[in-house]
This record gives sequence, C-alpha cells and structure tokens, in this order.
Amino acid sequence: MSVISCLRLSSLRNNIISPTKCLITVQREMGHGGPKKMVITASRWQWHKYKDLLHFYTMLGLIPLGTLVFAINVFIGPAKLAPIPEDYNPKNWEYYQHPISRFLARFLYPSHQQDYEKYLHFVYEENEKKQMRLLETKVKEMMAERGDSQAFYYRPILTKYHRYVRKVYDDLDDTRGY
Amino acid sequence: MGVGDPLNQFEAFVNAVGSVFDGPVTWFRESVVDKNRPEYYWYHRQFRRVPTIDECYTDDIVCFVEANEQFKRDRMVDNEVLSILRQRHHDCILYEGHDHKEKCASIKEQYDKAAENWFIKYGDLGVYGDVKAAYMKQKHRLLWERRHGPVGTGMKNPME
Repeated sequence: MSVISCLRLSSLRNNIISPTKCLITVQREMGHGGPKKMVITASRWQWHKYKDLLHFYTMLGLIPLGTLVFAINVFIGPAKLAPIPEDYNPKNWEYYQHPISRFLARFLYPSHQQDYEKYLHFVYEENEKKQMRLLETKVKEMMAERGDSQAFYYRPILTKYHRYVRKVYDDLDDTRGY
Repeated sequence: MGVGDPLNQFEAFVNAVGSVFDGPVTWFRESVVDKNRPEYYWYHRQFRRVPTIDECYTDDIVCFVEANEQFKRDRMVDNEVLSILRQRHHDCILYEGHDHKEKCASIKEQYDKAAENWFIKYGDLGVYGDVKAAYMKQKHRLLWERRHGPVGTGMKNPME
C-alpha cells in the first residue's frame, strides 16, 4: 500500500480537475492472489547507497567542475611562451602557463619571491640563535676546564634564612631568658 | 604530387579512415577554439646572479644559502648540457652503425671532455654535497696540483 502525491506526473492527468483529492492511496491491481505475506529478501541498501553517492558526486562534482574546466580550456586556453620584454618585471602569476594555475598563483598562493625571502630571514634568525648557543657552550667548557671564573660554578649562599633563624633565637632568648 | 599527398589508394584509404576521427576534432579546434581564445603570455623565471661562495664571509649564512641555491641551479643546467652531448653521441652511433669509431670521434671527444669537466666540478660530492663541499674540493685539487703537478701525472715522493 503506497501513498503517492497527486503532483506526480502519472496522476496529474487524472486529477487535474479536482485538486482537493491530493493524497490518494494507490493499490496495485494484480489479480487478488493469495494471503498477504512478508517477503524476506536480502538488503539492497548498499546498492541504493551506491546510486545515491554516484548521483551526488556526479551532479555536484563531475558536471559543474567538468564544464568549468572544459570552458576554461576551450575558451581561455593556455598562455603562449614569450621572452621577457625589456624593462618589464613580470608579476608572479605570469610565470605559469595554465589559466587555473595562474588564477591560483594570483589569488591564493604566496609568490616564490615572498617564500624565498621569508626562508632567508628564517635561516638568518636560526643562525643567530645557533651562534649564541655555540658561544654559550664554549664559555661553559672553558670555565669547566680552567675553573678560574666564579661565574658559572659559583653556588651563591642566601643569608636571609640564616638571618631569620638568628632573629627567632634572639626573640626566644629575650622572652624566655635562656 | 605534393609532399603530403597519398602515394597510392591504400594510403588514401587509411587517411580517410583517420580523418573520421581527426576531421571533427580539427574542425572544432579551428572554428570554436582558435577564434575565441585571448592572446596572453607566460615567461620563464630568470634568476639574477648572486655572489658565489668564494665571495661570502664565513659567518654570513644568507650569502651561503643564496650561493648554494645558485650552485644547485648551475648543476642542474650542467646536467642537462651533458645529457644533450651524450644524446648527440648516441644518435651519431645509431646513425653511423659500424663506422661509429671514426665518424663519431669528434662528438665523442667533445662529450668526454665535457664529462671530465663535470666530474672535476661536481663528481664525488655525495648526496649532501653543497657548494661548500664543491669549493673545498676545488681548493684541495689546487693544493694537490701545487704539490704534485697536474692531475694525472702521479704523486711526488714527500722526500723530494
């Protein structure tokens, strides 16, 4: 027993006169045979899911992107190679041939020059740190080897706790008398 | 009879079969594609020459990095040049056949000299060989030549 909306094409022809009859129950006319049974079949869920996914990826992916790429390749086309004119500095996207690559280079990706200069700066900073660390280790080694500098191996003694203890002892002396 | 005309009926038939596939594609290209495409250009990236490793201070890391990149680019160019010379030699051998030892002698000599020079500059540097390694290799070679004479004439006894 299935319920079909009256907007379906087959029933439009029948019910076009009276739109009130908008939900009809359709019963299959198959010659009234036998008692009602529940037919046990294997699941067709995987097949239905496959069709669903196929339609999804085709409609949303293949067709729009396919037509876009086709249109770009046919109506814009790849660039022609030319020698760089005198006194002209090409922009960073003019070094690519395909229009989509040019688009990505122009609006999405950083330029080669920017990457290169950032890399050089990074290398410079890391090298500064490296030189300082090398200097530190060398100084430590020298101090350990010669042992003539108080700087690194000197263990300072804090006197504030000794002062506090003495003060407590003095106070006890004053109050108790011994 | 022009150069591209079919020589006989069989060739004409084969051309006709090919044009079943080629015809529509060529028509589409000439009438739709070529008419509507804009004219625009792309260029090959050109790198400026930067100071080489022998002009860099020892603690100048940026100068070293740039010299290294330039060295790698120059090595790629030299690899391609050597490939072209090698391909020329192989093509000459293929063309001359059994006479190649005499006919291809000049090309072989050109390639051998280029390969020797390539090995002097870039050979045996290893996977991690950077521009410093190449520079030190050159320095060691010059010292060796100062002590023992040109490479290939043998080592002199240290007692001499």
